[in-house]
Amino acid sequence: MSDEEHQFESKADAGASKTYPQQAGTIRKGGHVVIKNRACKVVEVSTSKTGKHGHAKCHFVAIDIFNGKKLEDIVPSSHNCDVPHVSRTDYQLIDISEDGFVSLLTDNGNTKDDLKLPTDDALLTQIKDGFAEGKDLVVSVMSAMGEEQICALKDIGPK
Amino acid sequence: MNGGHVNSELGQLQATMQAIEIACSSIQINVNPTAAEATILSLCKSPRPYQTCQFIIENSQSANARFQAATAIRDAAIREWSFLSPDEKKSLISFCLSYVMKHASSPEGYVLSKISTVAAQLLKRGWLEFTAAERDAFFSEINLAIIGNHGLDVQFIGINFLESLVSEFSPSTSTALGLPREFHEQCRKSLEHDYLKNFYSWAVEAAQVVTNQIMNSDAAVSEDRVCATALRFMLQVLNWDFSNSGRVVKNSLDVYSFVAKEDSNSAYTLVQLGPSWRDVLITSGHIGWLLGLYGVLREKFSGKGYWIDCPLAVSARKLIVQLCSLTGTIFPSDAGDSQGKHLLRLLSGIIHWIHPPDVIAKTIESGRSESEMLDGCRGLLSISAVTNPVSFDDLLKHLQPFGTLSLLSSLMCEVIKDLMTKDLEEEPWSWVARDILLDTWTTLLTETNTSGMASLLPPEGINAAANLFALIVQSELKAASASEEKEEYFQASVAAMDERLSSYALIARAAINITIPFLTGLFSERFSRLHQGNGISDPTTTMEELYSLLLITGHVLADEGEGETPLIPLAIESRFPEYVETEKHPVVVLSWSIIKFAEQSLDPNMRTSFFSPRLMEAIIWFLARWSSTYLMTVGEMQSYRNSIDEVTLLQMQQSRKALLSFSAEYTQGKNLLDIIVRISLTTLISYAGEKDLQALTCYQLLGGLVRRKSICTHLVTLDSWRDLAHGFTNNRVLLSLNATHQRSLAQTLVLSASGIKNSVEANQYIRDLTSYMTAYLKDISSKKDIKSISQQPDVILVVTCLLERLRGASSASEPRTQKAIYEMGFSVLQPILKLLEVYKHESAVVYLLLKVVVDWVEGQIIYLEPHETALVIEFCMHLLQLYSSHNIGKISVSISSSLQSEANAEKYRDLRALLQLLQKLCTKDMVDVSSAASEDQQTSISQVIYVGVHIVSPLITMEMLKYPKLCYDHFALLSHMLEVYPEMIPKLNHEAFSHISGTLDYGLHHQDEEIVGMCLRSLRALAFYHYTEREGGRDGLGPHATSYKDAAGNFQDGVLSKFLRSLLQLILFEDYSMDLVGAAADALFPLILCDHGLYQRLCNELIERQPNPVLKTRMAGALHSLTTSGDVSPSADRSNMRKFRKNLNQFLVDVRGFLRII
Repeated sequence: MSDEEHQFESKADAGASKTYPQQAGTIRKGGHVVIKNRACKVVEVSTSKTGKHGHAKCHFVAIDIFNGKKLEDIVPSSHNCDVPHVSRTDYQLIDISEDGFVSLLTDNGNTKDDLKLPTDDALLTQIKDGFAEGKDLVVSVMSAMGEEQICALKDIGPK
Repeated sequence: MNGGHVNSELGQLQATMQAIEIACSSIQINVNPTAAEATILSLCKSPRPYQTCQFIIENSQSANARFQAATAIRDAAIREWSFLSPDEKKSLISFCLSYVMKHASSPEGYVLSKISTVAAQLLKRGWLEFTAAERDAFFSEINLAIIGNHGLDVQFIGINFLESLVSEFSPSTSTALGLPREFHEQCRKSLEHDYLKNFYSWAVEAAQVVTNQIMNSDAAVSEDRVCATALRFMLQVLNWDFSNSGRVVKNSLDVYSFVAKEDSNSAYTLVQLGPSWRDVLITSGHIGWLLGLYGVLREKFSGKGYWIDCPLAVSARKLIVQLCSLTGTIFPSDAGDSQGKHLLRLLSGIIHWIHPPDVIAKTIESGRSESEMLDGCRGLLSISAVTNPVSFDDLLKHLQPFGTLSLLSSLMCEVIKDLMTKDLEEEPWSWVARDILLDTWTTLLTETNTSGMASLLPPEGINAAANLFALIVQSELKAASASEEKEEYFQASVAAMDERLSSYALIARAAINITIPFLTGLFSERFSRLHQGNGISDPTTTMEELYSLLLITGHVLADEGEGETPLIPLAIESRFPEYVETEKHPVVVLSWSIIKFAEQSLDPNMRTSFFSPRLMEAIIWFLARWSSTYLMTVGEMQSYRNSIDEVTLLQMQQSRKALLSFSAEYTQGKNLLDIIVRISLTTLISYAGEKDLQALTCYQLLGGLVRRKSICTHLVTLDSWRDLAHGFTNNRVLLSLNATHQRSLAQTLVLSASGIKNSVEANQYIRDLTSYMTAYLKDISSKKDIKSISQQPDVILVVTCLLERLRGASSASEPRTQKAIYEMGFSVLQPILKLLEVYKHESAVVYLLLKVVVDWVEGQIIYLEPHETALVIEFCMHLLQLYSSHNIGKISVSISSSLQSEANAEKYRDLRALLQLLQKLCTKDMVDVSSAASEDQQTSISQVIYVGVHIVSPLITMEMLKYPKLCYDHFALLSHMLEVYPEMIPKLNHEAFSHISGTLDYGLHHQDEEIVGMCLRSLRALAFYHYTEREGGRDGLGPHATSYKDAAGNFQDGVLSKFLRSLLQLILFEDYSMDLVGAAADALFPLILCDHGLYQRLCNELIERQPNPVLKTRMAGALHSLTTSGDVSPSADRSNMRKFRKNLNQFLVDVRGFLRII
């Protein structure tokens, strides 16, 4: 199954890459940036100058979107930074397996079974309890630079 | 038996005393502090603890216990004041007073001063009840003490008591007594009118009595403590905020030579006293005595007992300085003669502290304390506040061969010379002195409204100012080249230096005909140095010097407009009468040389070698400032009150004309404008990532240009402006500008359309400008694979940029160009909904989308025709629903707590935008300039708000209300909605309504006064609506107001009854600002009327809860008069509301004191 899907995917994303270059000065708080080869969300940007009559530099404080670690970087503001392609997809939750994997329904009717349950306790109990109660749950999966993780949950209620 | 009773009582007292003593000592050594605190608090809170406290104060060996007992007396007496009999009140005060007198020599000063503060507070609490004779009885005691009949210690205690008394009566330092502000105000007035002057004379008397001993002894004597305290007290009295009686009537003769300058920012306070003070301060020889005292002290500084910073010397100097700022009707109206004499006398004393400046500076450098010199500077500052430059200068001429201005100038030169050698980090004395002296110059030179020529200096004064300015520039340049290595220094941006530079500019303008050519010379020197060094030597020093020079020159040439068009400085208009040719006018020469230099930045080679981002910042800043004053300026000369001869006036007008024709519309103006626009374009394109520089370009320079219509007319015809507009739409480089700059640039470009005369063309211009943005958004949102491509970072970047630009353009709505902006927004309505869908996880984009709609609606709503309004409202509702469906019930989680709080903050911003959207829609009901014919076509706004509230309110959780701004917006919308559209409340469903009432309940207990106020207004609206509807025989709030059984089968009160309960609870038992009482009364009255039965029950409950019959009857009485006194009748009309407000105020004064403790 994965072969076909893979081909289809690459066709749709023709030319799409994992990261895009973007001028450091245009990256805002709340945006994404790659630091030390990790996809991060920027929580603080400040500018300073190199010497009195030098050029501006951006100082980023950012948080790894997958493991929550804090990273920092300094880049001249006219230079380019890598910005990760972060995508989020909603899937309907169809099953939770014994070994901690979830089974998700994709848009085109296939299932996606390679994601683990989140480690976050609040989300974990919400998912397990909600699923046990028979609620219709939609999970958002965030992916960037080859990593994936469940990041949010929404109860779409009985239809 | 009687003896036994006495004994047991004594035992009781001793037991309490011991308990308190133990508690005090255990707090000190920190053993079980909570229990100890509770013991002490229980004393404060116990009813009528006076006897116990007095016993402790008189018998306890522990000073801390005595201190706590005094506190307890104060707390209990203030609380129970209304129950105490007049004799009890007086005896408490006299107990305190006689205790401090008796123990005046006790070493525990803090206990004494605490007790005397307690006496002062109680005296104030009873001030309005006591008769004049009763007050005087206390004061005659004090007077005897102060005169010195009972020895030095008692004298000291007496003055000390007056000090606490005056500070209690002065509103800014008074202690809260839980009484309305009027009480404090009445006390203040009474003291000022009847007692303050007497107190002052007593202090003078006390000080004079001990003066001889001080003067005659070489060593320190114990009298100096009394004297220092007396002087300190006199200073305190002079600092009293006297009411208007002493102010000079405007236009009286005195104003001409001696003026009173009021400036809240300055370091001086004017002392404006009425004529009644004349005998004490002016004619009694008070000043002579004071100067004599200090003169003698100065001679003793070298001896053992006194030194320059001893308390006595410090107080004396402070008092002398304060007396300098004496002004007003205390002086007879003799054209300033007696005020002049007064100042001269003071100056003759002060002069020794600051003259000769070089000697003084040297002695300070060799270790003498600088405080006397600084006080001297402060004296000059105070004098400058009550004089004009001429009279200021003349003062010293009576004593010395030179004027005060020359002294001021040479003093400041010494200070600056010293400053140049010092490290600013250590805050050297010269740094403080410089600030005081700069203040002095500013005070002298700031133009007063009374006469235009007031700031003109006498000739020697001009020279003094010119010399000083030259030295200042020299020191700034030196600082500039020296600070090159220090990295941290440069962050002090343009604005941070503003204040100091504008003082420098005032000095420069005082000698403008010398300083402008001087500046021109300095510039040309540096320009040529740059070119000579061309690439070989390091230009950094020169660049930094140019940076400073540009800032200084900008301040000298032009004022900060603060959004208005600033006038050409008076000095520049009037002081170059001999220059009638444009090319030779010094200001033109200087401006042109700078602009020519700036133009060189257009050459790429020059740019890379010389024009660093920082230098460009100064250039852009200068151009912005210069152009708002001089570019294409028309208009008349500022008028003079003073008559100048006609020939001079004519010359001035010609010279002004010559100056203006440099940059006028019909001459070079357009050329200069072109240069400025091209320089701006360069900074936007060639200085990638330099945010500060681009911010200056967008906001200050371009933003300032389009604010003026005359300039817009020319702007839109310029090729360079077209290049900018074209580049904005087509050049990808401009996409890399910072988001807020995108917005501002779009706004600027749209605003420039006001320069196009033909409104069709103007609209077309805006369409051309915006069509590419809307086309792109439409195009991308209709793409099939939008879902996948939308998440690519480059697409996100373009979309956010375009949305920012749409926001900017929307906020530039003007009546003439409204059509084009409406079309712009209308064409992207569907794309916006689509983008909201695909970017639902990209919070930054979601927020932008909401803000675009908010800004667009805000700009458009009042112009819209009915069918357009309907479309817009339908769209907004759609947007709200879509947003809500994405977010309700969503839980996002993240491993990182900071990402989690980011997510919350993003949600908060979104909600705030939604609330703003609803608020903007509301304005349609207030202002509507559309050509709508009949009412019935209009969409009902209340209906919209009703739907909106249903959608938005479930999203606002109590957690979210912790964000202050969101909280504010929420309650502002709520109170507006309830006040204006109460009729929609009954239609709300149960959930929405209980959400609203829940948040109201939360808001009532908020700590922000404004929010509580808004909640009270909402409550008033709710209750008032219900009440009037019921009166009219209708349903009112219907099911919301009636009691019901909840899911658990418990009986629940209707919402109004619930609020009646919680509001009563709030105003009787909780903390809130007294300013809210009015609003609370407005809410309480209709609530009472709505449910009178419940109110009666609550009242009975309250009365029953009182522990003893006395309180019960008091409570019942107070409650009775709350609803009856002043003829309040049970109907919610305006006059009844007003009466009720008054009653509630009285009610709270009566009962809150005892209720809150029990």
